[in-house]
Amino acid sequence: MELSDWELVQKCQAGEIAAFQELVVRYYHKVFLVVLGVLNHQEDALEVAQETFLRAYKKIKGFRGGSAFYTWLYRIAVNLSIDFQRRQKRSPMEFRETLDDVIDEREESGRDPFCSLQSKEIGKKLVAAIDDLTPDHRAVIVMRAVEGLSYKDISRILGCSEGTVMSRLHYARKKLQEKLGPFL
Amino acid sequence: MKMHCEEVQRSLEAWLDRELNQSEAERVGSHLLECPLCSEDRRQLEHLQDALRNSLEVRASGLAFEPFWSEVRRRILEQKPWHVQFLDWVRFTLYPARLTWAIPVVIVFLLLILSLEQLVPGWGLGPGTSNLAAVESIDGHGLNVAVFRESKTKTTVIWIFQNQEGEDEAADESAPGDNTF
Repeated sequence: MELSDWELVQKCQAGEIAAFQELVVRYYHKVFLVVLGVLNHQEDALEVAQETFLRAYKKIKGFRGGSAFYTWLYRIAVNLSIDFQRRQKRSPMEFRETLDDVIDEREESGRDPFCSLQSKEIGKKLVAAIDDLTPDHRAVIVMRAVEGLSYKDISRILGCSEGTVMSRLHYARKKLQEKLGPFL
Repeated sequence: MKMHCEEVQRSLEAWLDRELNQSEAERVGSHLLECPLCSEDRRQLEHLQDALRNSLEVRASGLAFEPFWSEVRRRILEQKPWHVQFLDWVRFTLYPARLTWAIPVVIVFLLLILSLEQLVPGWGLGPGTSNLAAVESIDGHGLNVAVFRESKTKTTVIWIFQNQEGEDEAADESAPGDNTF
Protein backbone atom coordinates (compact mmCIF):
# COMPACT_ATOMS: atom_id res chain seq x y z
CA MET A 1 0.00 0.00 0.00
CA GLU A 2 1.32 3.41 -0.95
CA LEU A 3 2.05 5.69 1.98
CA SER A 4 0.61 9.18 2.10
CA ASP A 5 2.86 12.24 1.95
CA TRP A 6 2.28 12.88 5.64
CA GLU A 7 3.27 9.31 6.59
CA LEU A 8 6.46 9.69 4.57
CA VAL A 9 7.16 13.03 6.22
CA GLN A 10 6.82 11.41 9.64
CA LYS A 11 9.29 8.71 8.63
CA CYS A 12 11.70 11.40 7.42
CA GLN A 13 11.35 13.15 10.75
CA ALA A 14 12.39 9.89 12.36
CA GLY A 15 15.54 9.95 10.21
CA GLU A 16 14.63 7.60 7.31
CA ILE A 17 16.32 8.99 4.23
CA ALA A 18 14.57 6.34 2.08
CA ALA A 19 11.23 7.98 2.92
CA PHE A 20 12.62 11.30 1.77
CA GLN A 21 13.79 9.66 -1.46
CA GLU A 22 10.18 8.56 -2.06
CA LEU A 23 9.01 12.15 -1.64
CA VAL A 24 11.65 13.28 -4.12
CA VAL A 25 10.39 10.64 -6.60
CA ARG A 26 6.88 12.06 -6.25
CA TYR A 27 7.73 15.72 -6.59
CA TYR A 28 11.07 16.27 -8.32
CA HIS A 29 9.54 16.70 -11.76
CA LYS A 30 6.76 19.01 -10.58
CA VAL A 31 9.18 21.13 -8.56
CA PHE A 32 11.54 21.34 -11.52
CA LEU A 33 8.68 22.49 -13.79
CA VAL A 34 7.68 25.27 -11.41
CA VAL A 35 11.27 26.42 -10.90
CA LEU A 36 11.93 26.27 -14.64
CA GLY A 37 8.80 28.36 -15.21
CA VAL A 38 10.03 31.04 -12.82
CA LEU A 39 13.71 31.04 -13.84
CA ASN A 40 13.29 30.17 -17.54
CA HIS A 41 16.77 28.64 -17.56
CA GLN A 42 17.54 24.90 -17.50
CA GLU A 43 20.77 24.78 -15.53
CA ASP A 44 19.69 27.33 -12.96
CA ALA A 45 16.38 25.50 -12.55
CA LEU A 46 18.18 22.22 -11.89
CA GLU A 47 20.40 23.85 -9.29
CA VAL A 48 17.46 25.53 -7.52
CA ALA A 49 15.25 22.41 -7.67
CA GLN A 50 17.99 20.37 -5.98
CA GLU A 51 18.53 23.11 -3.42
CA THR A 52 14.77 23.05 -2.74
CA PHE A 53 14.93 19.40 -1.69
CA LEU A 54 18.05 19.98 0.37
CA ARG A 55 16.30 22.81 2.26
CA ALA A 56 13.18 20.67 2.64
CA TYR A 57 15.24 17.84 4.14
CA LYS A 58 16.93 20.18 6.58
CA LYS A 59 13.66 21.78 7.66
CA ILE A 60 11.40 18.74 7.60
CA LYS A 61 11.55 18.26 11.36
CA GLY A 62 9.81 21.60 11.71
CA PHE A 63 6.98 20.63 9.33
CA ARG A 64 3.86 19.99 11.43
CA GLY A 65 1.41 19.12 8.66
CA GLY A 66 -0.57 22.35 8.98
CA SER A 67 -0.70 22.45 5.18
CA ALA A 68 -0.24 19.84 2.47
CA PHE A 69 3.36 18.73 1.98
CA TYR A 70 3.39 19.87 -1.66
CA THR A 71 2.18 23.36 -0.64
CA TRP A 72 5.07 23.60 1.80
CA LEU A 73 7.54 22.23 -0.75
CA TYR A 74 6.37 24.56 -3.52
CA ARG A 75 6.68 27.50 -1.13
CA ILE A 76 10.36 26.67 -0.61
CA ALA A 77 10.85 26.20 -4.36
CA VAL A 78 9.13 29.45 -5.35
CA ASN A 79 10.89 31.51 -2.67
CA LEU A 80 14.28 30.14 -3.66
CA SER A 81 13.52 30.72 -7.35
CA ILE A 82 12.41 34.31 -6.81
CA ASP A 83 15.47 35.04 -4.65
CA PHE A 84 17.73 33.41 -7.23
CA GLN A 85 16.14 35.31 -10.12
CA ARG A 86 16.52 38.65 -8.33
CA ARG A 87 20.18 37.96 -7.65
CA GLN A 88 21.06 36.68 -11.11
CA LYS A 89 19.27 39.08 -13.47
CA ARG A 90 20.20 37.13 -16.60
CA SER A 91 19.68 38.71 -19.96
CA PRO A 92 16.67 37.55 -21.98
CA MET A 93 18.97 36.60 -24.86
CA GLU A 94 20.54 33.96 -22.67
CA PHE A 95 17.13 32.34 -22.14
CA ARG A 96 16.39 32.29 -25.84
CA GLU A 97 19.72 30.70 -26.61
CA THR A 98 18.98 28.05 -24.04
CA LEU A 99 15.67 27.24 -25.68
CA ASP A 100 17.27 27.17 -29.10
CA ASP A 101 19.76 24.61 -27.77
CA VAL A 102 16.92 22.43 -26.49
CA ILE A 103 15.06 22.65 -29.78
CA ASP A 104 18.16 21.85 -31.83
CA GLU A 105 19.00 18.93 -29.57
CA ARG A 106 15.51 17.46 -29.92
CA GLU A 107 15.46 17.98 -33.67
CA GLU A 108 18.73 16.07 -33.97
CA SER A 109 17.14 13.22 -32.07
CA GLY A 110 14.20 13.25 -34.52
CA ARG A 111 11.57 14.54 -32.11
CA ASP A 112 9.67 17.75 -32.71
CA PRO A 113 9.48 19.44 -29.34
CA PHE A 114 6.54 21.61 -30.28
CA CYS A 115 4.45 19.14 -32.23
CA SER A 116 1.43 20.00 -30.08
CA LEU A 117 1.95 23.69 -30.72
CA GLN A 118 2.50 23.05 -34.44
CA SER A 119 5.25 25.59 -34.43
CA LYS A 120 8.66 26.12 -32.93
CA GLU A 121 8.12 29.82 -33.33
CA ILE A 122 5.41 29.98 -30.71
CA GLY A 123 7.73 28.24 -28.25
CA LYS A 124 10.42 30.85 -28.79
CA LYS A 125 7.94 33.70 -28.59
CA LEU A 126 6.53 32.25 -25.41
CA VAL A 127 9.93 32.02 -23.73
CA ALA A 128 10.68 35.61 -24.74
CA ALA A 129 7.26 36.74 -23.47
CA ILE A 130 7.79 34.98 -20.14
CA ASP A 131 11.07 36.89 -19.77
CA ASP A 132 9.10 40.13 -19.65
CA LEU A 133 7.05 39.01 -16.66
CA THR A 134 8.24 39.50 -13.11
CA PRO A 135 9.16 36.37 -11.11
CA ASP A 136 5.96 36.80 -9.04
CA HIS A 137 3.78 36.78 -12.15
CA ARG A 138 5.67 33.83 -13.62
CA ALA A 139 5.23 31.86 -10.43
CA VAL A 140 1.46 32.39 -10.43
CA ILE A 141 0.88 31.48 -14.06
CA VAL A 142 3.13 28.44 -13.93
CA MET A 143 1.47 27.06 -10.81
CA ARG A 144 -1.96 27.57 -12.35
CA ALA A 145 -1.33 26.65 -15.99
CA VAL A 146 1.18 23.86 -15.53
CA GLU A 147 0.42 22.41 -12.12
CA GLY A 148 -3.28 23.23 -12.11
CA LEU A 149 -3.20 24.46 -8.51
CA SER A 150 -6.22 26.27 -7.12
CA TYR A 151 -6.17 29.97 -6.28
CA LYS A 152 -6.33 29.01 -2.61
CA ASP A 153 -3.24 26.77 -2.82
CA ILE A 154 -1.33 29.37 -4.82
CA SER A 155 -2.20 32.06 -2.27
CA ARG A 156 -0.92 29.82 0.54
CA ILE A 157 2.30 29.10 -1.33
CA LEU A 158 2.99 32.74 -2.11
CA GLY A 159 1.66 34.09 1.18
CA CYS A 160 -0.76 36.51 -0.49
CA SER A 161 -4.53 36.81 -0.89
CA GLU A 162 -6.61 34.96 -3.49
CA GLY A 163 -7.50 38.35 -4.95
CA THR A 164 -3.80 39.05 -5.53
CA VAL A 165 -3.43 35.66 -7.20
CA MET A 166 -6.36 36.43 -9.52
CA SER A 167 -5.04 39.85 -10.46
CA ARG A 168 -1.49 38.57 -11.08
CA LEU A 169 -2.86 35.73 -13.17
CA HIS A 170 -5.01 38.12 -15.19
CA TYR A 171 -2.07 40.48 -15.75
CA ALA A 172 0.27 37.64 -16.78
CA ARG A 173 -2.25 36.19 -19.22
CA LYS A 174 -2.94 39.57 -20.79
CA LYS A 175 0.78 40.25 -21.22
CA LEU A 176 1.39 36.85 -22.80
CA GLN A 177 -1.64 37.27 -25.06
CA GLU A 178 -0.35 40.67 -26.19
CA LYS A 179 3.05 39.22 -27.06
CA LEU A 180 1.74 36.07 -28.70
CA GLY A 181 -1.38 37.58 -30.27
CA PRO A 182 -0.90 36.44 -33.90
CA PHE A 183 0.27 32.99 -32.86
CA LEU A 184 -2.73 32.11 -30.70
CA MET B 1 -31.14 34.66 -16.74
CA LYS B 2 -28.77 35.05 -19.69
CA MET B 3 -25.32 36.51 -19.18
CA HIS B 4 -23.93 39.37 -21.24
CA CYS B 5 -20.51 39.23 -22.91
CA GLU B 6 -19.03 41.77 -20.47
CA GLU B 7 -20.09 39.66 -17.52
CA VAL B 8 -18.68 36.52 -19.13
CA GLN B 9 -15.40 38.27 -19.88
CA ARG B 10 -15.00 39.06 -16.19
CA SER B 11 -15.64 35.44 -15.22
CA LEU B 12 -13.98 33.66 -18.12
CA GLU B 13 -10.59 33.10 -16.48
CA ALA B 14 -12.17 31.90 -13.25
CA TRP B 15 -14.36 29.58 -15.33
CA LEU B 16 -11.31 28.15 -17.11
CA ASP B 17 -9.57 27.73 -13.76
CA ARG B 18 -12.64 25.96 -12.33
CA GLU B 19 -12.99 28.52 -9.59
CA LEU B 20 -16.68 29.37 -10.14
CA ASN B 21 -19.52 27.73 -8.28
CA GLN B 22 -21.70 25.30 -10.20
CA SER B 23 -24.52 27.66 -11.17
CA GLU B 24 -22.15 30.41 -12.33
CA ALA B 25 -20.08 27.88 -14.27
CA GLU B 26 -23.19 26.58 -16.03
CA ARG B 27 -24.29 30.09 -17.00
CA VAL B 28 -20.85 30.92 -18.44
CA GLY B 29 -20.76 27.54 -20.21
CA SER B 30 -24.11 28.06 -21.90
CA HIS B 31 -23.14 31.59 -22.99
CA LEU B 32 -19.94 30.23 -24.55
CA LEU B 33 -21.95 27.74 -26.61
CA GLU B 34 -23.93 30.58 -28.17
CA CYS B 35 -21.39 33.41 -28.44
CA PRO B 36 -18.62 33.13 -31.06
CA LEU B 37 -16.70 36.14 -29.70
CA CYS B 38 -16.46 34.83 -26.15
CA SER B 39 -15.71 31.36 -27.51
CA GLU B 40 -12.76 32.79 -29.39
CA ASP B 41 -11.44 34.38 -26.18
CA ARG B 42 -11.83 31.07 -24.42
CA ARG B 43 -9.96 29.28 -27.24
CA GLN B 44 -7.08 31.76 -27.05
CA LEU B 45 -6.75 31.42 -23.29
CA GLU B 46 -6.81 27.62 -23.52
CA HIS B 47 -4.25 27.68 -26.31
CA LEU B 48 -2.00 29.95 -24.28
CA GLN B 49 -2.24 27.62 -21.29
CA ASP B 50 -1.51 24.54 -23.44
CA ALA B 51 1.43 26.26 -25.12
CA LEU B 52 2.93 27.22 -21.77
CA ARG B 53 2.49 23.73 -20.33
CA ASN B 54 3.86 22.04 -23.46
CA SER B 55 6.91 24.27 -23.75
CA LEU B 56 7.87 23.72 -20.12
CA GLU B 57 7.22 19.98 -20.28
CA VAL B 58 9.34 19.65 -23.38
CA ARG B 59 12.19 21.49 -21.69
CA ALA B 60 11.83 19.40 -18.53
CA SER B 61 11.43 16.08 -20.32
CA GLY B 62 15.15 15.27 -20.21
CA LEU B 63 15.30 15.39 -16.42
CA ALA B 64 16.15 11.93 -15.08
CA PHE B 65 15.53 10.96 -11.48
CA GLU B 66 18.81 9.15 -10.71
CA PRO B 67 21.29 11.98 -11.32
CA PHE B 68 18.89 14.43 -9.69
CA TRP B 69 18.57 12.33 -6.53
CA SER B 70 22.29 11.50 -6.44
CA GLU B 71 23.15 15.18 -6.27
CA VAL B 72 20.49 15.91 -3.62
CA ARG B 73 21.68 12.92 -1.55
CA ARG B 74 25.31 13.98 -1.90
CA ARG B 75 24.45 17.45 -0.61
CA ILE B 76 22.41 16.01 2.26
CA LEU B 77 25.26 13.77 3.39
CA GLU B 78 27.94 16.37 2.81
CA GLN B 79 29.17 18.08 5.94
CA LYS B 80 30.35 21.49 4.87
CA PRO B 81 33.19 23.13 6.83
CA TRP B 82 31.98 25.90 9.12
CA HIS B 83 33.53 28.68 7.02
CA VAL B 84 31.74 27.46 3.87
CA GLN B 85 28.44 27.34 5.78
CA PHE B 86 29.12 30.86 7.04
CA LEU B 87 29.87 32.11 3.51
CA ASP B 88 26.66 30.46 2.24
CA TRP B 89 24.76 32.21 4.99
CA VAL B 90 26.40 35.54 4.15
CA ARG B 91 25.66 35.11 0.46
CA PHE B 92 22.04 34.23 1.19
CA THR B 93 21.49 36.97 3.77
CA LEU B 94 23.56 39.89 2.61
CA TYR B 95 22.45 40.60 -0.89
CA PRO B 96 20.95 44.02 -1.64
CA ALA B 97 17.26 43.06 -1.49
CA ARG B 98 17.71 41.66 2.00
CA LEU B 99 19.90 44.55 3.16
CA THR B 100 16.99 46.96 3.47
CA TRP B 101 16.65 45.97 7.13
CA ALA B 102 20.34 46.38 7.84
CA ILE B 103 20.54 50.18 7.74
CA PRO B 104 17.83 50.84 10.35
CA VAL B 105 19.22 48.00 12.49
CA VAL B 106 22.71 49.53 12.46
CA ILE B 107 21.30 52.98 13.30
CA VAL B 108 19.23 51.60 16.19
CA PHE B 109 22.23 49.62 17.44
CA LEU B 110 24.48 52.69 17.45
CA LEU B 111 21.81 54.79 19.18
CA LEU B 112 21.42 52.06 21.78
CA ILE B 113 25.16 51.98 22.46
CA LEU B 114 25.31 55.77 22.79
CA SER B 115 22.24 55.83 25.05
CA LEU B 116 23.68 53.14 27.30
CA GLU B 117 26.81 55.16 27.71
CA GLN B 118 24.69 58.05 29.02
CA LEU B 119 22.25 56.00 31.09
CA VAL B 120 24.33 53.22 32.67
CA PRO B 121 27.21 54.35 34.88
CA GLY B 122 30.42 52.57 34.08
CA TRP B 123 29.23 51.51 30.62
CA GLY B 124 31.65 52.33 27.87
CA LEU B 125 33.14 51.09 24.65
CA GLY B 126 36.57 50.82 26.23
CA PRO B 127 38.95 52.37 28.68
CA GLY B 128 38.96 56.12 28.59
CA THR B 129 35.92 56.62 26.35
CA SER B 130 34.10 58.60 29.02
CA ASN B 131 37.31 60.09 30.32
CA LEU B 132 36.71 63.43 28.67
CA ALA B 133 39.69 65.72 28.55
CA ALA B 134 39.91 69.19 27.11
CA VAL B 135 42.65 71.68 26.38
CA GLU B 136 41.70 75.31 26.23
CA SER B 137 44.16 77.94 25.10
CA ILE B 138 43.93 81.65 25.69
CA ASP B 139 46.24 84.15 24.10
CA GLY B 140 46.38 87.64 25.56
CA HIS B 141 48.96 90.39 25.64
CA GLY B 142 51.81 88.09 24.67
CA LEU B 143 51.02 85.70 27.51
CA ASN B 144 49.61 82.37 26.52
CA VAL B 145 47.64 80.23 28.93
CA ALA B 146 46.68 76.64 28.23
CA VAL B 147 44.33 74.80 30.54
CA PHE B 148 44.02 71.01 30.43
CA ARG B 149 41.03 69.47 32.25
CA GLU B 150 40.51 65.75 32.68
CA SER B 151 37.23 64.73 34.28
CA LYS B 152 37.87 61.17 35.48
CA THR B 153 40.81 61.94 37.75
CA LYS B 154 39.61 65.53 38.24
CA THR B 155 43.00 66.85 37.15
CA THR B 156 43.59 70.37 35.94
CA VAL B 157 46.92 71.49 34.50
CA ILE B 158 47.58 75.10 33.66
CA TRP B 159 50.48 76.21 31.48
CA ILE B 160 51.56 79.77 31.24
CA PHE B 161 54.10 80.45 28.52
CA GLN B 162 55.44 83.18 26.32
CA ASN B 163 55.89 83.13 22.59
CA GLN B 164 59.46 83.32 21.38
CA GLU B 165 58.68 85.78 18.62
CA GLY B 166 61.66 85.23 16.35
CA GLU B 167 61.26 81.44 16.38
CA ASP B 168 57.51 81.72 16.00
CA GLU B 169 57.75 83.75 12.86
CA ALA B 170 60.05 81.14 11.33
CA ALA B 171 57.80 78.36 12.59
CA ASP B 172 54.70 80.12 11.25
CA GLU B 173 56.10 80.06 7.74
CA SER B 174 56.68 76.35 7.76
CA ALA B 175 53.85 75.20 9.99
CA PRO B 176 51.18 77.79 10.75
CA GLY B 177 49.68 77.61 14.23
CA ASP B 178 52.40 75.36 15.63
CA ASN B 179 52.87 76.57 19.24
CA THR B 180 55.48 75.38 21.66
CA PHE B 181 54.22 74.50 25.15
